[in-house]
Amino acid sequence: MSSVIKQRESSRLPSKTDTELDRISNLPGHVIDQILSRLPIRDAVRSSVLSRKWRYKWAKIPCLVFDNQCFDVSSQDQTFIKNKVVNIIDHVLLLHNGPIHKFKLSHRDLLGVTDIDRWILCMSRSSIKEFVLEIWKGQRYKPPSCLFSCQNLIHLELFNCLLKPPLTFKGFKNLRSLDLQHITITQDVFEKLISSCPSLERLTLMNFTGVTHLIIDAPNLQFFDIGGIFEDVSFLNTLHLALVSIGLYVNTENDENNARGNSSKLLRFFVNLPHIRRLEIQSYFLKYLAMGYVPSRLPNPCVDLNHLSIRIDFDDLEENTAALCLLRSCPNLQELEMLARPDEQTSMERSANFWEDDHWSSLFAHLRMVKVVGISGVKSEMDFIKFLLSNSPSLEQLTVKPASQEGEWELMKELLRFRRASIFAEVIYLDP
Amino acid sequence: MKLFEGGVRRQPPYPSSSEALQSLLPSTQLHDPNLKVDMAVTKPEMMKSYIWLQTADGSIQQVEQEVAMFCPMICHEVIQKGMGSSKNYAISLPQRVNPAMLSLILDYCRFHQVPGRSNKERKSFDEKFIRMDTKRLCELTSAADSLQLKPLVDLTSRALARIIEGKSPEEIREIFHLPDDLTVEEKLEPLKNTTDDPRIRLLNRLYAKKRKELKERQKLKNVEVEEERVDDRSVDDLLSFINGDSGDSKGIKTSKSKKKNRRRKDQQKSTSTNDAIKNRNKELYGLNSVCCSAEAGQKSWAGVGASSNLHDVEDDIFASKNELDDGDIDDEIDPALKEKIDREVEDFARRLNSDWPERMQEILSFGHERKPVHFSLNGNGSLRRYANSEQR
Repeated sequence: MSSVIKQRESSRLPSKTDTELDRISNLPGHVIDQILSRLPIRDAVRSSVLSRKWRYKWAKIPCLVFDNQCFDVSSQDQTFIKNKVVNIIDHVLLLHNGPIHKFKLSHRDLLGVTDIDRWILCMSRSSIKEFVLEIWKGQRYKPPSCLFSCQNLIHLELFNCLLKPPLTFKGFKNLRSLDLQHITITQDVFEKLISSCPSLERLTLMNFTGVTHLIIDAPNLQFFDIGGIFEDVSFLNTLHLALVSIGLYVNTENDENNARGNSSKLLRFFVNLPHIRRLEIQSYFLKYLAMGYVPSRLPNPCVDLNHLSIRIDFDDLEENTAALCLLRSCPNLQELEMLARPDEQTSMERSANFWEDDHWSSLFAHLRMVKVVGISGVKSEMDFIKFLLSNSPSLEQLTVKPASQEGEWELMKELLRFRRASIFAEVIYLDP
Repeated sequence: MKLFEGGVRRQPPYPSSSEALQSLLPSTQLHDPNLKVDMAVTKPEMMKSYIWLQTADGSIQQVEQEVAMFCPMICHEVIQKGMGSSKNYAISLPQRVNPAMLSLILDYCRFHQVPGRSNKERKSFDEKFIRMDTKRLCELTSAADSLQLKPLVDLTSRALARIIEGKSPEEIREIFHLPDDLTVEEKLEPLKNTTDDPRIRLLNRLYAKKRKELKERQKLKNVEVEEERVDDRSVDDLLSFINGDSGDSKGIKTSKSKKKNRRRKDQQKSTSTNDAIKNRNKELYGLNSVCCSAEAGQKSWAGVGASSNLHDVEDDIFASKNELDDGDIDDEIDPALKEKIDREVEDFARRLNSDWPERMQEILSFGHERKPVHFSLNGNGSLRRYANSEQR
């Protein structure tokens, strides 16, 4: 500390050698912005005490991130934390001087307080491009209507929020990426939101309440990742959709749905995905797809599909049929991953001989990598692996990972026996 | 990896030369001993074209075309202006690119322009490449920026940020040779940073104490007692004052102090040091106010005379420190360090004492520059809004 006092008294003017040696202060503004943007906000603001030139450099950084890294709050008192966090953010925003392009608020202890409204208003006035808000505690936070008037938004990410845009909301014209998790939104609002963002390329939707029929009308959509509970999903006008990952978190053993017409969910799902490249069918979604009529193969093969991942119950006849239909409809498949659903280990050997049928053999001409995870050695599973090995001439690697150590030896012994169509195939056994 | 901006297309490298190109010795005419040159010459030279570059110091060198074209600025010059094809038409590089930096940049380009490298390889090259002293790092950033080589600017700014992160201001100033040129006045302002660092808070307290002493000087000179208080009375208080409690200055003072205590409970650890300073200043001026009896209710002021002798004030500061100070803050500060600080404050005060006359001149001129917003009321003295709450 004493050195600080001495320095203050001695160096009134910067000495000549100092100005020569100081190479960082005169870097161009955008470079300084880059450097300061990579620091946690605390260090960035502290740079204001370094020297005269640095006093207000931090105030120009276009990117503000407030998360747990910024505040060392080691108290449990909610009011105290709230006051502190609010205080800090208010200060920073007040002293900030320049456009803000990215704002992220993700403090683990902050509830959805009304102060956030104020900050969003501030953002909406400064042409914000990326906005990330994560409320980790408490009930769903409802962003104010000024959020929906930020027309420069390119990326919007909300966690634990309730979305209710004003009636005058016309969409985000520039929005390319939307990430909504743990949100509440009504059916109409959802449809309107998606369809009024013409530039939307990426959509992530997890754990949502209030939407049962997902209607995705997004002409530029390329990436779609969704996990939740819904009854129906349909794509309109999504010709560019290349990556789809869907998880249905509830078991749809709904007889009514099945009885309601023979509309094929499978056909409807794929009809608007002509260029799909990567598909992940998770949780119970395969059961959903298996509802209704399942053809032996799709009318239009998915020629671009080269990665497929399916969560399946090998004992369920409908699911196996749906899976087979899929496998026969992607001639250029290169990577396949089959994950056995762990909790549905029914002992009913309903589809015991499903994969044995020889006349369903089809060649997987390009299949190189296969991964089968979570199996326990039951006949249906082993039949599937046998089927795969004898129909993949280009196979390079088959990785098998059982669910548990029970019956490993039998499993391995059987695996060893299977014929392989590909002379290059490696069968890799991983420990459970 | 976005290489170019401004829509300038990168020319495809000649297939033959890109295969032969591993790391060839560039034919340079430089005498720089710091040149980082890869000495591995593996293939016989094949027919390839060179670009001529001239640095600000006048020296000219030729560089393989695909390596040089990795830099957008050079690319632009070649394509748009047709420069660089011969020695006479060498491209003049911006001033920030000196020969040493140019050779570093060319090494970078030479590695990265080869298309077949994996991301892992590139990353490990980058990590080794970036290991250099801070001075060169800054120069390299500057040079890369002037050549518009964005990936290298990203790399160097990340490295610089890593250096800065987590360090104290003194350390950073030392590393980068920054002048410590914030004026006394600026330093004495509570540091407007949003940090909970105990060192910063300590610094603030130190400065606050120094400021108090400077103000003491000022007050000694002034006939009228200048009380800079924060006007933190609630609307109700103000109204009651206006409406007729003006005679009871005691009442006002006590309500203020009560308020202060209440507030302190609510905001135990306020990062805005304004509060801490406001509190302390109020307490200090309470000493010298006419109604110091009102303050006698406070334990901390018991036994304090109304004398404005410096030494007494000093003692009071130190004695009352324990009561006034926020328990939370103290818990985190090493007592040995605290003592050291106290000793330094004492030193400072003594120094102040010694060159008091000229100091007074300085301080008086400070006082004039500051134009605090004030309310003048019927009470005693004028109540001013604390100047430091003016945000610059």
